[in-house]
Amino acid sequence: MATTTATIGISSSDISDNSISISNVSTLTKAGSTTGLDKTSGLRRRTFTAVTIKDLINLDNYAEEQTITANKSAKVYIKNVGTASAEHVKVGIGNVAAGDSNDVEEIGRLYGGDWMFFPYNAAIAGTSNTANEDIYVIPSNTDSVTLEYMVIHE
Amino acid sequence: MATTTATITLSSADLLTDSLSLSATQTLYKAGTTTGVEEYDMGRVVVPAGGSPLILVDATAAGNDKAGKIYVANKNTDETNYVIISMNDTVIGRLYSGDWMFIPWSQVDVSADIEVKAPNEANAVEWVFFHEGKTFSAA
Repeated sequence: MATTTATIGISSSDISDNSISISNVSTLTKAGSTTGLDKTSGLRRRTFTAVTIKDLINLDNYAEEQTITANKSAKVYIKNVGTASAEHVKVGIGNVAAGDSNDVEEIGRLYGGDWMFFPYNAAIAGTSNTANEDIYVIPSNTDSVTLEYMVIHE
Repeated sequence: MATTTATITLSSADLLTDSLSLSATQTLYKAGTTTGVEEYDMGRVVVPAGGSPLILVDATAAGNDKAGKIYVANKNTDETNYVIISMNDTVIGRLYSGDWMFIPWSQVDVSADIEVKAPNEANAVEWVFFHEGKTFSAA
C-alpha cells in the first residue's frame, strides 16, 4: 500500500485581533480502513480558451480500464495556475452532456492562483449515465487559463 | 485589508515510482481583486448519527457569486466513520476520520448550503468559512 499525506496550513496575522493558524495532516486511506489509497490519475494539466462548460473529470472516460470507485474515499486536487486575480474558473459537479442546468451544481470559483482539495463521491448514475457526478469547469472569459489537477482514489 | 494564506502539500514516497511532492499556496482574496478577505466564521460541532443532512454553513444572499473559501475537517478517530458533505442535495464526497477539505464556495443561491450527514456514528467536525460578508437574519 502507498502512504500519501495531504497537509494544509491556513494562517493570518491580521484578519482578527489574534492571529489564526490552522494546520492539519490527513493520510489518504481507502474507505473505512487504514490502507492507503493506491491509484491516481497522476498530475494532469489542461488549458481552456472558451467560456463553455467542459468536463475536467469525465467518469465515463476517466482512463482506459480504470474507474474511480463511487461512494468511497477519492480525493481531488485542482489548481488554477494562472495569475489573473480578476478571472476565474467555475468548478462544479454534474453531467455536462445531459445539457440541463439542473444537472450541474457549482461548488466555487478558482481565481488565478487558487487551489481546492476535496473528497469526491464520483457516482455513476442515471439512464445511460446521464446523472454522472463528473467534475466540470467553466472559464470566466476567453483568455487562456490552465488548470492542474489530480485524482487519488481506490 | 488582511492577508490570509492557505497552503497545501501533497506528498508520497510510494504512490508513484517517483516521489510525489506538490505544494501550492494561495492568498484568500475578495472576488476579482487582490484585496484580502476580512471576515471569517469558525466552529466545531458534533454531527449526530443518522437522519437527514444538516446545514453546517448557511448560504446567504450576500455571499452569492463571491469568493468564499471553506475548510472542513472530520475529527473522528475511528477509520470506519465518515461524514457526507453535500451542497443543494448534491453529494461532494465523504470525509473519513482525519480527512479535511478546502474548497472555494460561491453560494450561487441561498439554497447552496454546505450540508453534513453522519450515517454511522456521531462525528466531531471543525470548519472555518472565510468570506466577504453574509446576510444576517433579522432579530
